[in-house]
Amino acid sequence: MFFALDEDQREFDAAVRSYLAERFDLDAVRGVVEDASGDGHPASLWKAAAEQGWLAVTVPEEHDGLGLGLVEAQVIARALGAGVAPGPWRGTVLAAEAIRLAGSPEQQAAWLPRLSSGDAVGAFTLRGSAPGTLPVVEYGAVASVIVARSGEGLALVSGTATPLGSYDGTTRLASVEAGAGEALPGATGEVIADLEARATVLVAADLAGIAREAITRTVAYDRDRQQFGVPVGSFQAIKHALADLHVAVTLAEHAVLYASHAVDAGLDGADLAVAVAKAKASDAAFDATAAMIQYHGGIGYTWEHEAHFFYKRAKRLANAYGDGDVHRARIAELTIG
Amino acid sequence: MDLTYTAAEEEFRSELRSWLQANIPDEWKRPGFWESLDDDENFRLRRDWERDKALAGFAGIQWPTEFGGRGGTPGMKAIYDVEMVLASAPRTVNPLGLTFLAPTVMAIGTEAQKKDIIGPMLRNEVIWCQGFSEPGAGSDLAALSCKGVRDGDDFVVNGQKVWTTNAVHGDKIFTMVRTEAGSQKHRGISMLLIDMHQDGVDARPLKQMSGASEFGEVFFSDARVPATEVLGEIGEGWRTAMLLLSFERGASGISQYTEFRRQYDEIVGVARRLGRDQDPVIRGKLARVLTDLECLRYHAMHVQTQVEQGRDLGFEASMTKLIWSEPSQDLWEIFDEILGEDATLDSLPDPSGVDLDLRPLHAQAMWSRSVTIWGGSSQVQRNVTAERVLGLPR
Repeated sequence: MFFALDEDQREFDAAVRSYLAERFDLDAVRGVVEDASGDGHPASLWKAAAEQGWLAVTVPEEHDGLGLGLVEAQVIARALGAGVAPGPWRGTVLAAEAIRLAGSPEQQAAWLPRLSSGDAVGAFTLRGSAPGTLPVVEYGAVASVIVARSGEGLALVSGTATPLGSYDGTTRLASVEAGAGEALPGATGEVIADLEARATVLVAADLAGIAREAITRTVAYDRDRQQFGVPVGSFQAIKHALADLHVAVTLAEHAVLYASHAVDAGLDGADLAVAVAKAKASDAAFDATAAMIQYHGGIGYTWEHEAHFFYKRAKRLANAYGDGDVHRARIAELTIG
Repeated sequence: MDLTYTAAEEEFRSELRSWLQANIPDEWKRPGFWESLDDDENFRLRRDWERDKALAGFAGIQWPTEFGGRGGTPGMKAIYDVEMVLASAPRTVNPLGLTFLAPTVMAIGTEAQKKDIIGPMLRNEVIWCQGFSEPGAGSDLAALSCKGVRDGDDFVVNGQKVWTTNAVHGDKIFTMVRTEAGSQKHRGISMLLIDMHQDGVDARPLKQMSGASEFGEVFFSDARVPATEVLGEIGEGWRTAMLLLSFERGASGISQYTEFRRQYDEIVGVARRLGRDQDPVIRGKLARVLTDLECLRYHAMHVQTQVEQGRDLGFEASMTKLIWSEPSQDLWEIFDEILGEDATLDSLPDPSGVDLDLRPLHAQAMWSRSVTIWGGSSQVQRNVTAERVLGLPR
């Protein structure tokens, strides 16, 4: 029995986190969020993502990738969530996954090395259908290629992007008027379901990262913040709430790790595992980021404080690919009938 | 990532499974069978069966062979726990001894204690009770006042213990006793190993809200215990108790999951029978608990990995208690909700003509009220998690 990250995976995790801590901290995130005219796609972070293999993680070695799996991808996703990091990492990885799983050899040769190296930016959406309107695409305005539904399958498309205003400034959105594009020949219903599972796990991982960081920062603040002559973190009303959140976030982390392995290894019950991971991570992230505001008091409600970056990012992602209720309905189907 | 067991572990599983199949009468698996017996008969049947199981080599799975154990791996212990649940095997009659006392004796007992305690316990020749809680010392164990006074080669013990599992069936009791007069809190306490078969010890059953009497209270009136019958050092009982309680972990989470998942399916069956299984509110609540039960399974795999890697989980055990006890209680609350107004009835008429006997289910639902209290209440676990895991100030 070994249910944990191995040494290489832990090193990968440490590398992503130390880069973000040293080179792209919350001040840098704030710079992106407050630059309303920018594209939300910081070049320095993208260069690091390319150089350190964050984009190449699941791309096969024959296409210049690292040939790793969803377990390693969720390590990166969780670290990016913890850093509320901007940029089209998830869309690029998911576009590459779609091309790996459903693309022709020519499509794979054309796109995978470019997505892996960061020369091309990818986007992925299951909302809307091409040709036509793709209503909300993460980083749709900077994507070189978008994987979208087309008929019963998927296609590689491009189109005219219109940026959308969104209060989560850490993720830029656009609607895209997409052309017909070029079909991915292997995109069966089964493959699309597999891609949706992968997308769901990566979003759940981002949420687990957000939730953990929200708790960690809140605990640190409440250890120091004095009221009534004592640290507020010494009050049981706060302690018990943070203990429950710590348990919930820990379970969300386990659930995301398990789901990523279950999808990679094609385990029986992978569909249940994905639903459990997303339900748990969605709720944990919403609860943890709401608590982050509450247990910072007034300062937590200000623009100046970072709590709102975490809360707003969680707010959107908790609902992306199904919120807790949607996944609980799925869990009920699978276990009650 | 490797979620499999080794070939040797799987071999052990099939041996154990065969033995369990051959040695558990079908009647024992009938719902309500154990509840239909009186407490003494119930206990005697389980005591004898567990002895036979030990003699067949299926006990002390992870204990070293020098102590009569099987010398198995943590994986084998997990398999053992799961297979016992799957086979509807009788519950152990010696839980406090096997889980807590034995590993403590192996760690710090004298050679004589190792020899005298472990083998007889494994064969159920001696049933062990735990004497910790008192009327004035529950969550605040260090407030205990049961006292022991040295008299020649003995301690003479006076006081009362309560919530003592198997009190009326116990042979010996490992007991926290204040052996230094006037000592405060966790100082001056010793862990005495007291023979319950003497005039100075009176064990009485306590009827629980379920109607059963699995626990009781124990009164000491000039009970005598030789001063050699101390586990750990005299006056260092708190240290011994902390070591002892640290054994409340290991690989049992996966078997708890197995048990609760089976209960979940049973409750879904009741909902289906009553036509409540398509009710969206019930489905949402069941799915919420199922989510937490699956998370319990993942957490159990995490714990087992840490154990196999030789890492100390320390205060994470406080989280583990919350992770299994709270959802199991939530599950039985949904059971009551499914039944609604009829939740208290002994049985429900059924169109099939076979009434649904609710009493065995009630017994489990009532039991779920206790799991968030014993072994450290949920409130204490939250304090420990907040202070010792998160580092919030006391």
